[in-house]
Amino acid sequence: MRARGLFLLAVGAPLMLFPVLARSQAAVTPQAAPSVVQTDVKLVIGGGEKIKNGSHGTLSVVGSSLQFATGKAKVELEAPSILEISTNEDSRQDITGAAHFATMAIPYGGGRFLSLFSHKVDVLTVEFRSVNGGYHGAIFVLAQGQAAPFKKQLVALGAKTSAPLAEPAPATK
Amino acid sequence: MKRHTRAAVSVVSPIVLACALVLTVGPLWGQTGPGDSKSAQKLSASAIQIEPMDPGDVPIPPEFRMAIYEDLIAQITKTGKFQHVYRSGDHDAASASDMVTLRTTVRSFTKGSQKKREVTTVTGSTKMTLNVHITDHAGQTLVDRDVQGKVRFLGENLRATYDFSKKVAKIVQDTI
Repeated sequence: MRARGLFLLAVGAPLMLFPVLARSQAAVTPQAAPSVVQTDVKLVIGGGEKIKNGSHGTLSVVGSSLQFATGKAKVELEAPSILEISTNEDSRQDITGAAHFATMAIPYGGGRFLSLFSHKVDVLTVEFRSVNGGYHGAIFVLAQGQAAPFKKQLVALGAKTSAPLAEPAPATK
Repeated sequence: MKRHTRAAVSVVSPIVLACALVLTVGPLWGQTGPGDSKSAQKLSASAIQIEPMDPGDVPIPPEFRMAIYEDLIAQITKTGKFQHVYRSGDHDAASASDMVTLRTTVRSFTKGSQKKREVTTVTGSTKMTLNVHITDHAGQTLVDRDVQGKVRFLGENLRATYDFSKKVAKIVQDTI
């Protein structure tokens, strides 16, 4: 009888204490915000001295900061320092750079015809203050539909915006 | 022969005197009162602070607002006119005594389309007109004029902000 009681205690105690332990562990370690990552993002303006404007790289939200990294350098800014974050849609030509100039040589308006091919993109604009109080801005061009998750995440981390993202309407049966 | 020499001297000497007078008095004439002299303004501004663009009542996309600001910073820095180009809110600007301030206000904005521009050539241009207002440290107006930026044929819409900033930098270079 005594042995059975000890057995039940040995088996039951961990089961009873487990939720308490799990909860205390969660309280000690702050839950990391889910990271948002997007590759092949173009930094149009705002790389400062570290990154040249027009560079392509990876944009991500790590911890409480927005990071843009190319193969050579990385810039980051804390979400609470963001004064305004906004998203917009635009379009970009499919043929750009030197190839675009080459299309001008195509006879019978072929180059103009090729200009018809374009794709939609998202534009993410961030206004922020640096450590010394200076006003700065950065513009990123991402694939269509990719800017909103960044905005949502950064606003949740303390970035300010005058135009919050619209919540999707609940599905009605 | 002697008569010819005397005649030549009598003609040339007033001209030489006049030239000497202009060379001596000219620079002094340039140093007039502090109010209307460009050279005096040139000497007094070693720093500029650029304020964010005021959109006024004109709807302008945020990326254009930001691009105008950053392009202005870049182009005015490139002129080499100022020892310091301060951003709005920069704490270090408080110590600058001879600083001018640049403010811009949107007058009009038309967002075009790169596709339309390149297909039709005559439509789809992006145009913007902004009022450029530069004041000295005492608040006296140095520049107050409207400047247009546009992209008419090739290039992305945001290139209009570059065009505008280049023109403002030229005005700053010529004025201050």
